[in-house]
Amino acid sequence: MLRLIVVRLLAAVPVLFVVSLFSFGLTLLVPGDIAAEMAGQMASREEVDQLRAQLGLNKPPLERMVAWYGGVLQGDLGRSILLNQSVGSAILERLPVTLSLAGIALLVAALVGVPLGLLAAAKAHQWQDQAAMGTALVGLSLPDFWLGLLLIWVLAVKLQWLPSGGWVPFSDDPIGWLRSIAMPAGVLALNQMGPLARMTRSAALEVSNSDFIRTARAKGLAEPRVFARHVLAAAAVPILTVAGISFGIALGGALVIEQVFSLPGVGRLVIGAVLRRDWPVIQGGLLLTAFVFVAVNLVVDLLYLWVDPRLREQR
Amino acid sequence: MIRGPGVSRRSFSAGLLAGTAATTLPLPAFAQKKGGDAVMAQSSPPPTIDAQTSSAAASRNISLHVHETLFARDEAANPVPDLAEGVDVAADGLSYRFTLRSGVNFHNGKVMTSADVKASLERYAQVGMSKMFMLPVDAIETPDSKTVVIKMKNVFPGFIENLSSPRAPCAIMPEEECAKPAGQGGRIGTGPFTMGEFRSDSHIMLHRFDKYSQNMNYKQRDGFAGKKTAYFDSVRIRFMPEGGARTAGLQTGELHVIEALDAPVAKRLESDKNIKSYTMMPWAYQTLIINNAWGQTQNLSFRRAIQAALDLEEIMAISTSGLYRMQPSWQHPGTAHYPGVAGLEKFLKQDQAQARALLRDAGYKGEEFAMMADNTNRPHIDTATVVSEQLRAVGVNVKLTVTDWPTIFTARTKPEGWCMWPLLMGIEPYEGPYGVVGFFAGASPAMMKQDPVIEDAQKKLTTSLKLEDRIAAVKMFQDRMYDQALSLKIGDSGWIQATRANVVNFAPYRIPRMWDVWFA
Repeated sequence: MLRLIVVRLLAAVPVLFVVSLFSFGLTLLVPGDIAAEMAGQMASREEVDQLRAQLGLNKPPLERMVAWYGGVLQGDLGRSILLNQSVGSAILERLPVTLSLAGIALLVAALVGVPLGLLAAAKAHQWQDQAAMGTALVGLSLPDFWLGLLLIWVLAVKLQWLPSGGWVPFSDDPIGWLRSIAMPAGVLALNQMGPLARMTRSAALEVSNSDFIRTARAKGLAEPRVFARHVLAAAAVPILTVAGISFGIALGGALVIEQVFSLPGVGRLVIGAVLRRDWPVIQGGLLLTAFVFVAVNLVVDLLYLWVDPRLREQR
Repeated sequence: MIRGPGVSRRSFSAGLLAGTAATTLPLPAFAQKKGGDAVMAQSSPPPTIDAQTSSAAASRNISLHVHETLFARDEAANPVPDLAEGVDVAADGLSYRFTLRSGVNFHNGKVMTSADVKASLERYAQVGMSKMFMLPVDAIETPDSKTVVIKMKNVFPGFIENLSSPRAPCAIMPEEECAKPAGQGGRIGTGPFTMGEFRSDSHIMLHRFDKYSQNMNYKQRDGFAGKKTAYFDSVRIRFMPEGGARTAGLQTGELHVIEALDAPVAKRLESDKNIKSYTMMPWAYQTLIINNAWGQTQNLSFRRAIQAALDLEEIMAISTSGLYRMQPSWQHPGTAHYPGVAGLEKFLKQDQAQARALLRDAGYKGEEFAMMADNTNRPHIDTATVVSEQLRAVGVNVKLTVTDWPTIFTARTKPEGWCMWPLLMGIEPYEGPYGVVGFFAGASPAMMKQDPVIEDAQKKLTTSLKLEDRIAAVKMFQDRMYDQALSLKIGDSGWIQATRANVVNFAPYRIPRMWDVWFA
């Protein structure tokens, strides 16, 4: 197990290096820089050039690249021009918002999507199957920004049950935190529920025709127990795969949701940095995203070993 | 009010009182209440909280609650004393002697002295976003702790206008704060609120400064100057990019003030008794900046063809959702340098036949016409879209490119690759003529090519001691802009700020002012 973790982490190094090269390349290819944003729209070219020089943005690309990699090797992702703070601490400050948003969304999606998929498989080709898959399809098809605005209008403006946006840290007020995260996480969950339910149905149907399931039924096991104990366990690997992918997609979706609900997460940090060309933050954000994907894949691989004894034996 | 050199402090003070009487209304019959935590929303976070180094509106909204300037603009945008008691301008226009108000506290507890003012002005000359106006300054002297004397190399009648501008405010900070480089200063000022927690993608906290030194030379709030009183315990300014979420926040009561409300949304909310909206007209004017140094627009006939092809009112009606007025002058009526509109009528009427004829004169053969717009500002895209269609109607092969602001900025500061782009000019016309004329003059004019008449107008504007000469210079500028179609003014647009109904005594202005307002 430890060997697997070490090997996978080492394999992540070239991935992260390629991502960092790509993100640095972007800084050279994409026009504009943060000086234009800071100066304002009526600033003259001289005013912006002056600011660019003050911020050290007119250094040669190679010099900037060497300095940045030198910092990264020492664990320093650079300093945000906009925030006047280290990129690492800026990301760490916002990471709990994004991770809790994506994590809760995935949890809700799994708690609803997996039983929905199992129900659809158990009642395959019956009305329950159609209803469950229809629900999943609706969740999958609705654009999250549109759904977010719709929910704000209904749940915040009309019913006044939940706040229209903003973030309350858990440490300040757990109830406030739950209220602030309920709508955005719900929107993300609805999007992720679809693929999970569909994959669960497909995997469960495939497994439910297996010999060992027929044996379980033949010995008189009740159908819910067959599904809960045998079908779900055997279908867990593909479901975990989709859940891993869903978590990555949820992190991506958080970019939009954080904008709509004004949540101060990593997504909003990175979008703000892109719009203002705060390159150290963009580079740090891309590296972090790549690292999270690598980490999620690693966790999914470890969960495979946990849920499937055959894979453990192969190792 | 600022009548130029020769105005003594005594006569200036008389002017101040007259101006105050003219621009302020009787005190409202409401019982002021201290306390409460107000929440205001704006669409963007500030690019920096270092007041001196940004001309972005998102920065101003915050910094003008925290910082003050020697002179500031009153309700009618005239320069009036703020941290200064007044100024004596020498007869030759080469010396400004400011007397500072006594006992003004900084947020760090220190009392403001001339050394702080000198250091702030010197920092502005180094890092200030509008530092060009400090170029004529030869020396800054501090004969005593309450006096600052600014010696000029040459006459610059717009000095006080620039010093008092809120565009990138020449904020007065403690001397020790002035050593900080660009982008890293700006947390300590003399304003009615102190700066608290700042999270660039979430919010900034402002707290009432209980040791705030009110300017007792006034009776009440007056523009960015006047006697300011902070009533709220705190103001949380939230950065909310999504317009629908901002409106929803105002409707639910989570927000008390919002910086801007679209005209159609304001109309929809008219029946909501919990919301008050406040319209300002004029707020800005819409322009089309034309590249005189590249492409088809180098040709005067082609530029005049654009001028003839456009239905200005249609552009304004669509791009502002009806919140506009047609006013052709490059200065707002009623301001000191307004040159009138005589002689402009012939440039304002759409004439598509004439436009086609001018295109033929220009030898236009259907080459691609590069128009660009940024997606930061909705009126920019809408203006560009309508203008593109109107130009296509007379046979111009328009290619419209819409990108984000930094991309457009980089493109538009290059002399080639573009012909025209829309720009909403807001703070500059509010400031007066200097920013407007200066934008089209100097080493890098907005239209990419110096025009001798505009340069002459700029010179007269910035060196003439008599107001009538400066008005003549603005008229010269305006006539030349129209006659040569160097760039086009389309019309004036308005702006709507909105509050919850329980926010008392709010008055719309260039920023949503959170002083002298309180909860019912």
